[in-house]
Amino acid sequence: MSFQVHHPQSVADAIALSQQFGDAGRFIAGGTDLVIQINRKRQTPAHLIDLNRLDELAGIAQTPDGFAIGALATHKAVERHPPFQDALRGLVEAARVVGGHQVRNIATVGGNIANASPAADVVVPLLALDARVSLVGPRGARTLALGDFLLGPGRTAREAGELIDCIHIARLPQRSATAFLKAGRRKAMEISVVCVAARLTLDDEGRCAAASLALGAVGATAMRAGEAEKALVGRVPDDAALRDAAQAAAAACNPISDVRASARYRRLLVEALVPRALRICVTRIREGRT
Amino acid sequence: MRNPLTLTINGEQHDLLIEPHWTLLHVLRGQIGLAGSKENCLEAECGVCTVLLDGKAVNSCILLASLCAGRSIVTIEGLGDPEHLHPLQAAFVKHGAVQCGYCIPGMILTAKSYLDEHPDRMPSRDEIREAISGTLCRCTGYQKIIDAIAAVAAERAGKGAQEDAP
Ligand SMILES: Cc1cc2nc3c(=O)[nH]c(=O)nc-3n(C[C@H](O)[C@H](O)[C@H](O)COP(=O)(O)OP(=O)(O)OC[C@H]3O[C@@H](n4cnc5c(N)ncnc54)[C@H](O)[C@@H]3O)c2cc1C
Ligand code: FES
Ligand code: FES
Repeated sequence: MSFQVHHPQSVADAIALSQQFGDAGRFIAGGTDLVIQINRKRQTPAHLIDLNRLDELAGIAQTPDGFAIGALATHKAVERHPPFQDALRGLVEAARVVGGHQVRNIATVGGNIANASPAADVVVPLLALDARVSLVGPRGARTLALGDFLLGPGRTAREAGELIDCIHIARLPQRSATAFLKAGRRKAMEISVVCVAARLTLDDEGRCAAASLALGAVGATAMRAGEAEKALVGRVPDDAALRDAAQAAAAACNPISDVRASARYRRLLVEALVPRALRICVTRIREGRT
Repeated sequence: MRNPLTLTINGEQHDLLIEPHWTLLHVLRGQIGLAGSKENCLEAECGVCTVLLDGKAVNSCILLASLCAGRSIVTIEGLGDPEHLHPLQAAFVKHGAVQCGYCIPGMILTAKSYLDEHPDRMPSRDEIREAISGTLCRCTGYQKIIDAIAAVAAERAGKGAQEDAP
């Protein structure tokens, strides 16, 4: 193991270093993914570029239409952020099941996204929220839909020299709620076997005005279940509607069998968790906790 | 090639020369001689290496030392001493929460970080259980550890000793 660690003091310097080192360089935020991958010799970068001194990437800010979550915001910061406790509760529920407290206190949202694991938990509610990834690089700034940023396991649309600056999410309309459910082999300190995030908006007649479902660990990247969403819009979220959504989601996903679970079991979990997550959203909207 | 690094550990500044790949745990145990933070899985799974970074529990086994410049590091050695035990240390002794002791430095710092994060309320036993889910104990079965943490939490919340069953 031999690498140099660089500590740029500005985003511009971080980008310049990344461009200079190319494939031999990696950004490091909390290091909870990267250091383990280096120790296991899965990655052998010659240069690490420390992002922790870049205050511009820290913190969670309100924007005119929602929130900008800095790439360096920790899972703990998301979990504890007061404005996320109501309609955006699903985001909090995902952040609070990433590893244990020690991991959450240092691991970042930007790292969770950039690492591009198909089982990354916080990615899933962000995808359900139509999050947009803001990138800055040698050629300036650009914004991409999270779904377009994630290309495959460990693969993203990040270009040479680019870093994630923040993640944008829009404020939800009235009568909206979110929920996140994770199935692992044990309750805590566990990688998702399957995870599901739901976002629902009801109209005044109690019909689904908008519905969004995102699934984790059942494909090459976290994915939206578009057919399942369509099965809900315009309908009252009764048992039949939820069953249709569950079946469409299970049909849409593309799980693999691995040491954690079989593909069949993963599909069954999707079918069970989708209606459960939607029911939680309905309850939250009815209780007005949104 | 070794690089200079200044770390603030238990309130004291240390001027060091370190290899870029050294973790905070490696520096604490090997360079400074603070062996209270233990070494086991080296993959952030077991929590025996837990220290406080700016007051928050983190796994020092996967934390590169150079990322800690300018931040405050507290190890179990900085929490109390035999004459002046920290309330958590005293409670662990009182409740018989220690067997082999290997997990205990990490366990106490994990608990401190959690209680400091929730200063105004009494956590439930389930919440305490979840709070220490990243710190494994292979001896005690956790009940007495949870008793000890709950006792300190109750004292802080000003409610007196908590009596609910395990
Ligand atoms: C014990 C343990 C348990 C875990 N449990 C879970 C879990 O339950 N759920 C889960 O989702 N994850 C889990 N993880 C994985 C990990 O903690 C998360 O993915 C975390 O969010 C990664 O963030 P980080 O800041 O540590 O990333 P780092 O390790 O610093 O970086 C990860 C990758 O992202 C890149 N990167 C980081 N920041 C940026 C940026 N701003 N711009 C561009 N690229 C960037 C790095 O170059 C690197 O390739 C666990 C890890 C451990 C060690
Ligand atoms: S040695 Fe650090 S968590 Fe196990
Ligand atoms: S007391 Fe032995 S591991 Fe906890």
